[in-house]
Formats: sequence, structure tokens, C-alpha cells
Amino acid sequence: MEVKQFVGGIHVPHHKSFSEHKAIKEASVPAEIIIPLVQHTGVPNQPLVNVGDRVKAGQLIGATDKFVSAPVHASLSGTVTAVERRLCFTGEMVQSVVISVDRDQDKLELADVDLDKVTREEAIKAVREAGVVGMGGAAFPTAVKLSPPPDKKIDALLINGCECEPFLTCDHRIMVEQPEKLLRGVRLLMDILGVKHAYVCVEDNKPDAIEALRQKNKDPQIVLVKLPTKYPQGSEKHLVKAVLDREIPSGGLPFDVGTLIQNVGTCVAVYEAVKHRRPLIDRVVTVTGQNVRDPQNLLVKIGTPLSHLIAECGGIMQQPAKVVVGGPMTGKAQQTLEAPVVKGTTGVVVLPPDLALEDMDYRACVSCCRCVEHCPVMIYPNQISIYCEAGLVREAAYWNTMDCIECGICAYVCPSKRPIVQWVQLTKPLIRQLESERK
Amino acid sequence: MSTTEKLVFSSSPHLKDKVSVPSAMRDVFIALMPVTAAAIYFFRLYAVFTIAVALITAVLTELLFSRLMGKKHSLYDWSALLTGLFVALLFPATAAWWTVAIATFIAVGIAKELMGGLGWNLFNPALFGRVAVILLAPWLAYVSGWFAPLAPNLGPVDTLTQATPLAMLQSGSADLPSLGRLFVGFPAGALSEVSPLLVLIGAAYLFYRGHINWRIPASILGTVMVLSAILGHNPVYQICTGGIMIGAFFMATDWVTSPFTGRGKLIFGAAIGVLIVVFRFGLAPTEGVAFSILIMNAFVPLINRKTTHPQFGHVRKAVAVE
Repeated sequence: MEVKQFVGGIHVPHHKSFSEHKAIKEASVPAEIIIPLVQHTGVPNQPLVNVGDRVKAGQLIGATDKFVSAPVHASLSGTVTAVERRLCFTGEMVQSVVISVDRDQDKLELADVDLDKVTREEAIKAVREAGVVGMGGAAFPTAVKLSPPPDKKIDALLINGCECEPFLTCDHRIMVEQPEKLLRGVRLLMDILGVKHAYVCVEDNKPDAIEALRQKNKDPQIVLVKLPTKYPQGSEKHLVKAVLDREIPSGGLPFDVGTLIQNVGTCVAVYEAVKHRRPLIDRVVTVTGQNVRDPQNLLVKIGTPLSHLIAECGGIMQQPAKVVVGGPMTGKAQQTLEAPVVKGTTGVVVLPPDLALEDMDYRACVSCCRCVEHCPVMIYPNQISIYCEAGLVREAAYWNTMDCIECGICAYVCPSKRPIVQWVQLTKPLIRQLESERK
Repeated sequence: MSTTEKLVFSSSPHLKDKVSVPSAMRDVFIALMPVTAAAIYFFRLYAVFTIAVALITAVLTELLFSRLMGKKHSLYDWSALLTGLFVALLFPATAAWWTVAIATFIAVGIAKELMGGLGWNLFNPALFGRVAVILLAPWLAYVSGWFAPLAPNLGPVDTLTQATPLAMLQSGSADLPSLGRLFVGFPAGALSEVSPLLVLIGAAYLFYRGHINWRIPASILGTVMVLSAILGHNPVYQICTGGIMIGAFFMATDWVTSPFTGRGKLIFGAAIGVLIVVFRFGLAPTEGVAFSILIMNAFVPLINRKTTHPQFGHVRKAVAVE
């Protein structure tokens, strides 16, 4: 199928070879798991268990009656040892349930539902109860996404298998190893939304994934789209632009142009939730980088500490290292390894000392325009960096700082090594404040 | 859980491209080497001396101003050295060494450092220094008496003080060099004007390294060629004379002092082209390129504001759903 290239973007060395051909392996059971009560974008859950309670794998341990939320479940059986604030990968302290894990684990009891008899409402309810969120990193509650406002008609479903971040291969492996589950999840989502067209979008640096999906896809309404490899192809705005040539308006969402986007991992989770009533208690995490001994794609229980995962992969080879949760372009560097894997954790990248860059000395903007040339949302990062650095919020707003998707290209190409994304992240709340004061 | 891991913390992105300001400046320095070599070939010790004066003055000025302003010197970003080389290349080989030194001092000290350092300067430092000594010429004439005894003897001068092709065109001289000779190498005028071919080779390197964009050089050269053709001059001959080549590829494309918008670059280049033609055929025959670029440098912030492209998702409204 014909696709359009979006303006801007860049070819970042993709470093996928560390783990792209390694089959998904189940990680060992850690001694303790930490389950944050908020792992999604939205309202935090309330804990439903107390210290000392015995919990079973798959048991609901946190929920709220607010709409924009996703409940959390115990991913392993054990005893609750604490309900307290714990470090999350974002650097924030988040209310979490800490569980001391039993040595012997029971097998998860699964239902087997006939998908032909499931109504739309039942399916959404199942997705909601399973606590499914977007697994590409944003972690927006899927059930909320599947219930768009009635005035927004959705006519196309996009399945995001681009995985444009360097290093990460979890989506790649899901497409190669679980194409049938994935495609059944897509069909399920199409039926829930009542759309006639779904596009499974994969970058052309994953030919084996494309081939696996092509062989298993018998559904004429599901179209396989091969996209040129270019960062940030997996950004929602750029995916919709490339595949459907629709431009999501500034400040808008995909459903403003009649589309809905789901990550490939989410499709599998939706299938499991509806077919087997299986809660989202594990996910595929890529543990990779030049500085971890044995890079792998691991099936990890939610709540597993990063230290356990890295130990599982042979540990860090050289110090000082940089451990990034998520991809290296947008992910978060860690100060310790105590944070747990959450539903939105795509990967853990361990960078070697020569790539473990601290915030280095930066220079003044020399107006080289490299950021302007490559900016995928076509704003002017050079101007934004100058005004954000100076704290000139009004000027920063004038130069469309709010449209920034924080993809990191500007800071990647900057010859003056300016930390543009950091400044944007610090300035955005100030602009929001300014705008609310104006109203 | 081990707590002995030494982890580095910073904000995203965690990968960085290799290109840096010093590496880019070094590339420009390398790109200037062919034409510098040609200048030395033609003018021998005179060229070497002029370049040496400029480079030494640039380094000393940088050190002096960073000391005065209490900040770390930025010699390692190559910008001071590069400005020094540019200033030298803008002078004829026989220029008095103290004018070269004063121009370099003004370029590095005033046009760059006092403006806030590399990145904050509004005007191209080298051109600013060069033009400053032209405008200060009446006053410098007084000073030259003091320095005259200090002038080194570098050999006979006569063969080096050839009239430039531009001056020949103006005076209707019959000894005009052929276009081919002019393009490959003709020793007259400023050091950088001796060989358009070698300037182009340097520019090709900058294109290859991705440091300059076609828009500014193409619009300058295009405008000059079209306008001089309309005025009845040989357009190719025109762009090979004077400082147009070095101006279009090295001076007007200076990152800091040129627009950052695509359309802005075209407007900037075209305006410089028009000014060059006005200077060349309407006013003085020399230094038109330097004045044209400096004048347009002042308009860069305005051009930038007026020529921005809309951001993603701004113009086009949501498309209708079937």
C-alpha cells in the first residue's frame, strides 16, 4: 500500500541487532514485586489490600470508580508487606503495593470465552477489568480509548508496530512470535469500534515481522502497511499522516481525524482480556544495550524491579553506565535500579560509559537549523530553546512549544548540545499556567 | 539488590549525533584550505604574513576579551581562528599588517565577543572587521605613519599590485583576463578572490558535510547572474570576479548571521544579490559583497519572523470522515 513520507524526522542508528532475533523468554520470579497503583495516564487507583494480606496472582489489588483509569492486579501470589510510596521509573514517588512473592506459584486460572457471542459492551468491560492500557509507553487506559465521544466517528484503526525507537524489539518479537493472537486482537478491536478498515503498520527494518503477519493474515479488512524506517514514524501524528494522509490538528487527538491507534502489544493484551479474561499482569520488555552482558526480550511480571531484570540478563558490564527505561530517544534515565516494570515499560537500555552522557556543557544556539530541518512537528526548536532557557514563557508559547512531541531529534542533532527537550518539559507547565491565567 | 551501580542521570534523548560546533568550525577551516593554498602560491610571503598576523591577533584578542569578561576562552571551538582566517582572506596580500590586525581585533573582540560570543553576534564578524577598517580608513591614515617603520620587507611588490578584473571592467581596460583564467586562478584583489574554482571545491566539501544549504548561494548567484545579464554584462564573468564566490558560499551562509527559515534564506540571498549588483554597477566597484551581506545581516531577525512555516497540524483542519 502507498504511504506518504512525513516532513522532517531522521535516521537514527537503530541498534536493534542486540535483541531482534532473540525469542521472548519468561523471566524468573523475583523475591519481591512493587506494583504502583497508578501505571496509566489518569486517575490513581485506591489500594484494595492491606499489609499482611495474602494475594493470589491475578487478584485485583487497586481500583477506582473514576472513568479515566485502569485497575491493577497482583502479578504473582504472595503476601503484602507494604502499601507505601515507592520510587517509580519517572523519578516520582508513587503509592504502591509491595508483595513478598511465594516460592511456589499457582497457575493462573483462565476462562475460555466464545468471541462470537461477546457483545461490544461486554468486550469493553472485559478490557477495562483486565486493566489494559496502551503498551507502547503512553499507558492510556484502553477501555477509555475504545469509548470515544459519540460525536467522533472512527473509520480507521491503526495498529502501531513501527517501534521506531532505537534498541527496542519487544513489539518486533510479538509480531514475529504471536501474529495470530495479534491479528485476532485487531479483529476484536475492529468489532468493538465497528470499523471496516484496520492497518497494521510496520517499519521496513522488520521484514520477518511483516512476513509473519502476511502469512497469518486471512482477513481482507486488515491491511498490512510497510513504512519506511525513519524516526519518529511510530508517533501517532506521523503514523496517521503517513498511512492515511490525515493531519491531526494542533492540540488534537487521533479521533479528531476519525482514527484510533493501538500498539501491537495492546492488541494481544485485549485479546487475552476478552478471550481468557486474563488481567494484564505481565508484558514483554526488551533488556538491551551495549553494556548489558546478555540482551534479551523477556516476558516480565509487572512489578519486577529493574535490578532483577538486569541481573537476569547477566548484569551491567562497565561502570559508569546509563540505564534508560523506554527507548533512548524519549526514555527516562534511572538513578537507581529499584523502580519496577510497569504496564508501559517497553524496554530497559543499558548504555556503556562512552554513551552514558551526562548533561554536558552546552553552547549558545548557532542557528545551524539542523533542528528546524529535522523537526517532525515543524516547529522551531532553535527559537524555543533560546526562550525556554531564558524563561521567556510568552515567547516560548509564541513559537508553538506546546506542539512539541518531545521526540528528542532537536537535541540529538544539536551541534551546541543544547538540552532542548529538558527545557521544553520544564516550560510546558508554565505555558499551561499562563494560558489558564489568561482565561 | 546491589546499590553499588554507578549510574549516570540526564534528560532524554540519551543518544547524540557526533557533529559539534568545534567539528563544524574545523570543517569550514578545512574547506578554506584550497583557496588559502592558492593565495600563498600566488602571493608567497605576503599571503603567509597577512594570514599569520590575522591568526595571531585573533587568538590574542580572544584571550584578552575572555579575560576582561571573566569567562572561559573559547579557542577550542575554532571560531576565533576561523574568524581570523576569514579576515585575512578578505584583504589583499599587500594590505598593511596593522590594518589586518585592527580588522581582526574588531572582528573577534567587538563583533563576536562583545556581542555575547559565538551565536549571539548579529553581523558576520569577519566582514564586520573588514568593513570597519574601510570606514575607519581616514583615521587609520594618521596611524599608518607610526606603523610604517615596522613594515617588514617581504620582497618586491610591483607584480602583486595588479588591478582587479572588476576595476579593469570599470575603467574599460583591455587587459581583462579570460574567463577560464579568471575561474582557475588570477592573482588580483583579496586573497580569497584568486580562484573561484578552489572556493567552489571548498564549498563542495561543506555541502558534503551538510553544513551549508543550497538556498543562500543559489539565490545570491542566481540574482546576480540574472540582473547582470539584464544590464548587459556577462553573467558568468560577473560571478567569478570580486568576492562573490567566497561571499555566497562562506560568508552569507554563516549559520549565526543568516535566516533559519527556508523561505527566509531565499529572500536573504536574493536581497544580497540585488545589493551586490547595485553596489557594483551603481556605486563603488569594490567591497560591494561585504557591504551587501552586512546590510542583510541586520534584517535576519525580521526575515525570520516573517517567513516561518506553520507547524504540523496547524493549517489543515480535521478532514471529514466518510
